[in-house]
Amino acid sequence: MPSMSVVIPVKDGERYLEELLDALAREGVDEVLVIDSGSRDRSLQIVRAAGVEPLEIDPAEFGHGRTRNLGAQRTSGELICFLTQDATPVPGWATAYREAFALDEHVGAAYGPHLPRPDTSPMIARELTEFFAGFAAGVQRQGDATFLSNVNACYARACWEEIRFREIAYSEDQAFGADMLQDGWIKVYQPSAAVLHAHDYGALEFMRRYFDEYRGLHESTGHVEPFGMLATARQVRAAVAGDRRWASEQGLSGTEQASLTARSAVHHGGRRVFSALGSRAEHLPAPVRGRLSLEGRDDRTATGATGESAAAPGLSPDLAPDAAPGVSPVPPSTHIAPKRDHDDYQDVARFWREGAAPLLDPVPGMAERERLRLALVIPSFRRGSGGHNTLLQIFSRLERRGHLCSVWLYDFTGQHLAEWPAVIRADIREFFAPIEGPVYKGFADWQGADVAIATGWQTVHPTLMLDQCRARAYIVNDHEPEFYAASTEREMAEDTYRHDLHCIAASPWLRDLLIERYAASADAFQLGVDHSLYQPRPVTRRKDTVIYYARHVTPRRAVPVGLMALSELHRRRPDLRIVLFGDEGKLESPFPYEHLGVLTPPQLATLYSEATVGLCLSLTNFSLMPKEMLACGLPCVELADVSAESIFGSDGPLELATLDPRAIADALERLLDDPEHWEQRSREGIEFVASHTWEHATDEVEAGLRHALREREQSE
Amino acid sequence: MGAAERTSEQQLQAENERLRTRVASLEAELVETQARTNAIVAQTQERVYWLDRWHLDLNALMRRPGAAELRGALRGVRAVTRKLRQAKRRLRP
Repeated sequence: MPSMSVVIPVKDGERYLEELLDALAREGVDEVLVIDSGSRDRSLQIVRAAGVEPLEIDPAEFGHGRTRNLGAQRTSGELICFLTQDATPVPGWATAYREAFALDEHVGAAYGPHLPRPDTSPMIARELTEFFAGFAAGVQRQGDATFLSNVNACYARACWEEIRFREIAYSEDQAFGADMLQDGWIKVYQPSAAVLHAHDYGALEFMRRYFDEYRGLHESTGHVEPFGMLATARQVRAAVAGDRRWASEQGLSGTEQASLTARSAVHHGGRRVFSALGSRAEHLPAPVRGRLSLEGRDDRTATGATGESAAAPGLSPDLAPDAAPGVSPVPPSTHIAPKRDHDDYQDVARFWREGAAPLLDPVPGMAERERLRLALVIPSFRRGSGGHNTLLQIFSRLERRGHLCSVWLYDFTGQHLAEWPAVIRADIREFFAPIEGPVYKGFADWQGADVAIATGWQTVHPTLMLDQCRARAYIVNDHEPEFYAASTEREMAEDTYRHDLHCIAASPWLRDLLIERYAASADAFQLGVDHSLYQPRPVTRRKDTVIYYARHVTPRRAVPVGLMALSELHRRRPDLRIVLFGDEGKLESPFPYEHLGVLTPPQLATLYSEATVGLCLSLTNFSLMPKEMLACGLPCVELADVSAESIFGSDGPLELATLDPRAIADALERLLDDPEHWEQRSREGIEFVASHTWEHATDEVEAGLRHALREREQSE
Repeated sequence: MGAAERTSEQQLQAENERLRTRVASLEAELVETQARTNAIVAQTQERVYWLDRWHLDLNALMRRPGAAELRGALRGVRAVTRKLRQAKRRLRP
């Protein structure tokens, strides 16, 4: 049977101390240590009368964590119990704790419930009872509730020696609970190890105590108590109703219940307000904090009103180094508790740890099979996401060709956290294309596929870890590392091209880049145009309008250069009408312009049909927009020497210009000044993109997917 | 090559052919199962759109205390309404 020591910090605790020490004698504990921090009542006499020699410390030295660490050091039991001066163990308490530690060798701490005393107010009695009823008896591990209370708790010495209490102003027990679970120890809730304990203060004292408690909780765990008028009103109403129900069950008379209702409303209302204030205490001036605190605690003083709970924040005196004259001391540090249970890139981390899931053995002829099982893994999306539109235009057509298609959302950003799968599916159908297959959120229901298809770079590592696949492919819409400056994201995006996924790139330029720079296996497809929508509309073509896709939130769109070019053009032709679209934000510019914001596809088709010249720049892969402009007969200026030549050639239907504002202004002017040149570009544009359909893009992607399967067959 | 070796090779080829056919049939079966699964899940997602939109999990809702009693009461009301309608129909001239 493990030996048991009990440590009780005391200050002016005469009210229950005798009862408590008698209970400990009855329970047969091996050692009792009372640490007194300046009692002025009969506490010391009571302790000595019980045959215990108290350890007296200076009140200024008291700290919840520090003093309990001292108590643990000064005792020798294999189990160290902590009780407060007003917590009286019920019969069987010590045995119950010993049983809890016998459950598993990794049990580091156990705690028991706090029972109300007979004279405890109904609010507190109900709260205590319901609070502890919420814990299931038994072991708690990492990921479970971290609750631990030194009003009534017991620790294995080995665990305390490893973790120790933090020297924080409050909630050292809660911090210990979190730390021990994090380090792999087990915690036990033992309902039989109960104590009689309840703080019964006056209404205002209660509020100030809640201020202190939530301030401590914030300091140790970072918790900020939410507060809203309506929510508070609802919570107070529910709490008062609960108290009334409790009082009725206890047989209180009607008058007593009416009186309780008023007290209960004040109690719970005050609690909500003061707990919210406490968890935001650092935003309050120090004198206000001092007034609101029951312990009179602000950041500069450590004078405890109750002694027992007062503590100086920051570094303890024995840890604060003495600074030599002229040397700046290191300021006190702030402990930041863990606030979430995962890393930023947890799936990348898991992939680096575990590697890719093995692929299934190839089956002869699988690349030529009529119906393939295809799983498209997509990142989070919004209405108007261009990359998603491309993917789903193609995927819906693959589906119509008889392939078995499912969509798997990898919600990396948490954007769809509140959306359930049927809603996500409906959004995909509304925003992009009317897919018929199912949509899954996450991979819990993963069923395997002939080809698992990664799309955005964030989807690649999770796709690599999907099992039951014959092959994996990667539809690459753009060279995404170029979206980032030197950063983790850039490195991770580059890493996605190095895992033997067969790439299907959205232009020959991008395909060549993947092959040359990353030695990837790659095919290409051409972005399609919805010709039923993008065609010259029956509107009058203006002669004085340049439209510019000025999406400045996307840096690869080189908007500053575009604006400089339009500024130069405006200087040359002040009467020219300039229209900016593609972003809700209004840009400040040295020239006047008309702002259209984000338009729907039909509105875009009309705009392209009435404008004179379009301007759309891309510093990376070519986008769909210039093709859609050309399909509406609108000549368009794009950047030379990037990716456009790989599709249109150097003298194709696009007017190309180098990344130079004057060169871009020149290109725009050529189209504005020369009607024959304009006519030629317009005609050639329509002719050129006529063959660029989504059906054709689907042919190319399907060939790429079959290529991925064929590579698997050949690799065996 | 002896007759025995020839026979053995022929047997191997026949076995290979049989296994290939079996694999092809299992693959076809897998595709059919997947097609049915996809169709059922997609159909269900169509049907439960508003439940998902409103975050309503009816199974969880019906597990809550009082739900079974409420359902029982509603069934009781429905039974009474039916009886009343039947009686009304019978009394109708």
